[in-house]
Amino acid sequence: MKIQRQNFFLPTLALFGALALLTYLGCTKKTADSLSSIRARGELVIGVFGDKPPFGYIDQAGRNVGFDVALARELGRALLGDEKKVKFVTLEAANRVAFLQANKVDIILANFTNTPERAQVVDFAEPYMRAALGVIVPNDSPLKTLADLKGHTLVVDKGTTAESYFVKNYPDIELLRFDQNTEAFQALKDRRGAALSHDNMLLFAWNNGNPGFRLIESNLGNADVIAPAVKKGNTELLQWTNEQIVRLRKEGFFRRAYESELRPHFGSSIKDPSTVLVEPST
Amino acid sequence: MVFDLSFLTRHLPDFERALLLTVGLGVAAIVGSLVVGLLGNAFRNLPLPGARLAVRSYVELARNTPLLVQLFFLYFGLPSLGIHWSGLTCAILGLTFLGGSYMIESIRAGLDAVKKEQIEAGLSLGLSRFQLVRHVILPQALATALPGVAANCIFLLKETSIVGIIAVPDLMHLTLGLIGLYYKTYESLLLLTLAYLLMILPASWALARLERRLRYGRQFA
Repeated sequence: MKIQRQNFFLPTLALFGALALLTYLGCTKKTADSLSSIRARGELVIGVFGDKPPFGYIDQAGRNVGFDVALARELGRALLGDEKKVKFVTLEAANRVAFLQANKVDIILANFTNTPERAQVVDFAEPYMRAALGVIVPNDSPLKTLADLKGHTLVVDKGTTAESYFVKNYPDIELLRFDQNTEAFQALKDRRGAALSHDNMLLFAWNNGNPGFRLIESNLGNADVIAPAVKKGNTELLQWTNEQIVRLRKEGFFRRAYESELRPHFGSSIKDPSTVLVEPST
Repeated sequence: MVFDLSFLTRHLPDFERALLLTVGLGVAAIVGSLVVGLLGNAFRNLPLPGARLAVRSYVELARNTPLLVQLFFLYFGLPSLGIHWSGLTCAILGLTFLGGSYMIESIRAGLDAVKKEQIEAGLSLGLSRFQLVRHVILPQALATALPGVAANCIFLLKETSIVGIIAVPDLMHLTLGLIGLYYKTYESLLLLTLAYLLMILPASWALARLERRLRYGRQFA
């Protein structure tokens, strides 16, 4: 039997072109959900972390909990009158922007540090926390300062400020990049890297529950702030979120949430909450 | 939205590096899988009690567990047993473990398709066991098995896209990293698509050509 030969190249190319176009249209479509359509839907969709205690994680009962999650529930109560009307979408650091752009979530509350690169693609609301980077090593490590890291492997999470900070400022340090926190810390435990860098608060919390490691840096990088983010151009939701953050600051919500969600994790590593919270005066 | 052309040229070298690594990984996995496929079938046909069951168990285990789980086991599970393999080693072993099982099944289909009369004819001509395998069974079996084997090869090339989860810097890992760092989603995805096409189209074409060559004798049969 003779098989008819066909040229698959052009059809393949055309198919990819069509797919690219569809994706493009899908993403640029103006469906940035305004407040009224969220109310009509009866559900506020918020993107949070699932494996980054104390900010966003899953407890033993399978519920979303953490500092960011507490704030998310508060927003749900303010907008829809019921914190149960918040739908949580668990995401990773590297896909936070994509979830917003594709309209999969209304707001991101995932320990999202406000950086210039990110501010170009999403709109950040008023900040609610401060962040800097930390570096953690095993107790028996000879590394004492950041300078010692040269020529060693550093574990980071993809799409975090830790990754971009070291890519920009320390190109000599080799990075081992993971999608998820769980894997990154496991890799440090397995000694696949000499050190691990992440947001300092996250490291304080992790260090508190995992003896055998110490911080050699805890105040690295720009004095960044952490803020909720909405899709670029969704002004109505942005303004509403801003108002809520300002109100919650005044009402002392973040202080209370600090006591219930963060202090148990940080232990004695942070003495004064005002070092990590954005206070009403600012 | 503005399409950033300078981003493309700036990161082209990164993609070159990742493409080389991905191709290397894919080729290693394909070669490894073919070896496992051939050895597995040879072992399966040994007059040993349990040989068939052992191969069958391996095939079922490898085909019915996700590669993700296999890679996690190799990379995060084995260190607790004191075995520390690099990410790249784990990636090659994981892909070979999975690909080998698919190859065993594809090659077995080819072997099963060789007619009994062919083997009897060979034996009656006084061919040795080795000659029988080399000149009668394998040429026919491989020609029949080739479409399946070729599909497995393409499958393995594409399956490399998952090794990023154990921090092996392949094409997908690089692309997701760039998107996470600079948020140039379309530019990164375009380079990714081109890189995969550059890798898989020639492979696909070469395999199709090989298939036609091996099947040449059949059009008269």
